[in-house]
Amino acid sequence: MKFLARRTLHAALLLVGVSFFSFALLQWAPGDFLDELRLNPQISKQTVEALRGEYGLNESLPVRYERWLFAAAKGDLGFSLAYKSPVGPLIAVRARNTLVLTGTAMLLAWTLAIPLGIWTAVNRRGWTNRIFGAATSTLLTIPDLLLFLGLLLLAVRTGWFPAGGMFSDATDGATFLSHAKDLLAHLFLPAAGLAIVSLPVLMRHVRSAAIEVLDAPFVRAARGHGIPRWRLLFRYVLPVAANPLISLFGFSIATMLSASLLAEVILSWPGLGPLLLEATLSRDIYVVVATVLLSATFLVVGNLVSDLLLYAADPRIRVE
Amino acid sequence: MSAAGQGEVLLRVRGLGKSYVQRREFTREKFQVHAFEGIELAVQRGATFAIVGESGAGKSSLARCLALLERPDCGEIWIETKDVTKASRAELFELRRKVQLIFQDATAALNGRFTAAEIIAEPMRIQGLFGAAQRRERAMELMEQVGLPLAGAKKLPREWSGGQRQRLAIARALALEPSVLILDEALANLDLSNQEMILRLLADLQARRGLTYIYISHDLRLVALIADEIAVMHEGRIVEESGAAEFFAQPRNSYARDLIRAMPPLETILRERLQEEPA
Amino acid sequence: MRGNRKLGAALVFLAAFHAAILLAGFFAPYGFATQDRELPFAPPTRIHFVDATGQWHARPFVYVLASDPANPNAYVADTTTRYPLHLFVAGEPYKIAGMLPTRTHLFGVAEPGRIFLLGSDAFGRDQLSRFLYGGQLSLMAGLLAAVLTLAAGIAIGGVAGFYGGWIDDLLMRGGELFLALPWLYLLFAVRAAMPLHVSQAQVFLLLVAVVGLIGWARPARLVRGIVLSAKERNSVLAARGFGASDLYLMRRHVLPEAYGVILTQITLLVPQYILAEVTLTFLGLGVGEPMPSWGSLLASLQQYYVLATYWWMFLPALLLIPLFLAFYAAADAIQERLKTVAL
Repeated sequence: MKFLARRTLHAALLLVGVSFFSFALLQWAPGDFLDELRLNPQISKQTVEALRGEYGLNESLPVRYERWLFAAAKGDLGFSLAYKSPVGPLIAVRARNTLVLTGTAMLLAWTLAIPLGIWTAVNRRGWTNRIFGAATSTLLTIPDLLLFLGLLLLAVRTGWFPAGGMFSDATDGATFLSHAKDLLAHLFLPAAGLAIVSLPVLMRHVRSAAIEVLDAPFVRAARGHGIPRWRLLFRYVLPVAANPLISLFGFSIATMLSASLLAEVILSWPGLGPLLLEATLSRDIYVVVATVLLSATFLVVGNLVSDLLLYAADPRIRVE
Repeated sequence: MSAAGQGEVLLRVRGLGKSYVQRREFTREKFQVHAFEGIELAVQRGATFAIVGESGAGKSSLARCLALLERPDCGEIWIETKDVTKASRAELFELRRKVQLIFQDATAALNGRFTAAEIIAEPMRIQGLFGAAQRRERAMELMEQVGLPLAGAKKLPREWSGGQRQRLAIARALALEPSVLILDEALANLDLSNQEMILRLLADLQARRGLTYIYISHDLRLVALIADEIAVMHEGRIVEESGAAEFFAQPRNSYARDLIRAMPPLETILRERLQEEPA
Repeated sequence: MRGNRKLGAALVFLAAFHAAILLAGFFAPYGFATQDRELPFAPPTRIHFVDATGQWHARPFVYVLASDPANPNAYVADTTTRYPLHLFVAGEPYKIAGMLPTRTHLFGVAEPGRIFLLGSDAFGRDQLSRFLYGGQLSLMAGLLAAVLTLAAGIAIGGVAGFYGGWIDDLLMRGGELFLALPWLYLLFAVRAAMPLHVSQAQVFLLLVAVVGLIGWARPARLVRGIVLSAKERNSVLAARGFGASDLYLMRRHVLPEAYGVILTQITLLVPQYILAEVTLTFLGLGVGEPMPSWGSLLASLQQYYVLATYWWMFLPALLLIPLFLAFYAAADAIQERLKTVAL
């Protein structure tokens, strides 16, 4: 239990640190959102200054951070100056979409990586192994950006997949099933893209974890006892190989989130990515801070979850 | 091994103590470990002073404090007329020239990327002595004095044998012309023939330069051969101290007695040595 | 040895690529801002050996394109006049390494002929030329940022490992913060803090600074590990015994142990940072017009109609793939090399 308490505290502190960091970053930024208004000769200086006061833009940094922190704790994440609406609901929807995308992609990636990784580990002396190795290496080196662009090109040229958005426009009178099908059709490309991008690394790790276990004496002993292959894999190899993989799971969430930003922008998926981009371009402070904080939260929570899983899976940690 | 000390005390230690803080593995509690405490020593110029005891951090820790590599928690160390523990940074920088340490493992004590000449010249370089050319010259001289072939000046430590590496370490230690050499189990990693050669070298250097040796060891046989004075350390304290002859003849402390009893008799040692000597 | 051949091949390729980029002026037939408003989105120029009458010519040639009256998006070649391809032609003036003015280009065709080997963009600018010039910016940004990150990583990791204690704790916790964020999000946040309307040079420097200062945490951790173990060595203690200062110890005894790690880090960071610059510029947060960067070349690909109709705009992306392959192959080979040497 001490282990968990420590990890949770750690996560909480990390989040506070992140929030402070992103907040401070934006406050140090020269200029602010009202610069645009200032340039407009029709709006008097006094009005702009008044607006500044209203938005609380002329207080000192610690004061503003404190105000923001307390508000955030209550769920009020500020006001989007560009959208003219509270930040909370705005990013809630986008966050949901991002989670749907990343969740699906993670599922896809892992369900492919585990069997493929184990298979290449078991058959590591075959010629298929070399082909797979070359393929994963190549895939690894191709930058995500180019991969997503390539997928977009594919979608556009072949017309097999919708090239953006989450749903088609015609939603009147649609049944739940057709709605779901529509979603899946739109989801496929970005999720597949994200999965492809993550797959090589995951596969490699699964493979090396499996190899390490397969070579272990206790496995060879089990094989010597005549235990059938499948049983061997599931009850002996997998549990031991699972340990480094659970840690990998936490780590892969970070890379997946970064990649999802790019995927969402290029493949036009309405998630946090495009929102962040817009907000950055228009210096919409609170949106940027909230989005960064949110993604960091996903990450930290993801790591915490994998720590929990590790705790549950590995008896050695419980003893400590 | 050398002539009896001339009576002048070169190095004096009063009430020296040091402890470390360690953490228990799982509970992360801190607890204190006393490396040594209440150490009193007086080492005469030109003598070979041995400190013996079972293997443990106490002796090495003391060696490092004496060599000015670590600070003791309490007590004084007097070198000639200066109390080292109260020295300023500048004074300490100068004092380092007087005391040097020879480590047990020569390989670990030498930087594997430096050539032999660079290794020996380094102390002089750090102290800012002489110019580059002169340093090189002196390095070559020192190589000669310790019996290393000059052709190896550009060789890296890994190209030398274990015994040669220890010679290199000794040459390096002599670069600053110290008065005291502290040998922390310096012979323990060498085979018997190498030990013999290094002992001869050390004796030779002592005679020529009037060096004072403080020899730390758990090997009473070696100590028997070279020491003038012997101090026994047990659980961080000195439990016995006397001249060599007196020590072997009439040890007062029970622990010291046990040590001596565990040793093969002097005659056996001498016989072994005679047998190994090349005919 | 297999590894050596792979490393050699990768390095040769990288050297050639970088040389071409460095001498962009020479290899590119046009300047990066030279527009031809008559020829927006022209397809890659076809090189012919046989003319309309069926006659074969030793010297390859091109035709001039004109808008197809039937299809506004397409072009028709005017086969009446041939424009032969020449080597070492006099073209637009440029400066080698920004200093030596000259006009010689590797290849070109006489006016009004155009040789767009990779086609042209919305303003009729030669994609190949922009690719080469753009490479200068992207490669430079990647390299500078990598150097910055390593400098920061070495300094911070060195201090943390050498002094330990609360400094170490503080710095490593700070590093965790940087590692905890998905790097692209962090990049955005920091970029958002930078003013948007500044001069090109300033944007470039800011870009480099931002990208470079984000990634220090991992190299710092690696260097710290090495420093931690190296500083305990007796050779370091001996040097202390001669009165060596901390700085001297770091410089001559401790940091040299980290050279191997630093080298592998560079080979990994440079392509990563090139990509970061390309991504930022692609999204509109980097260097703007008319300075070309690989990112701006790819930016137009975000538009549906470009992808649908003008497939050649994708070619620059394809050209980048072997570059990254070479970088990672070199990184792999160097790592293998270091493993065997270090032992």
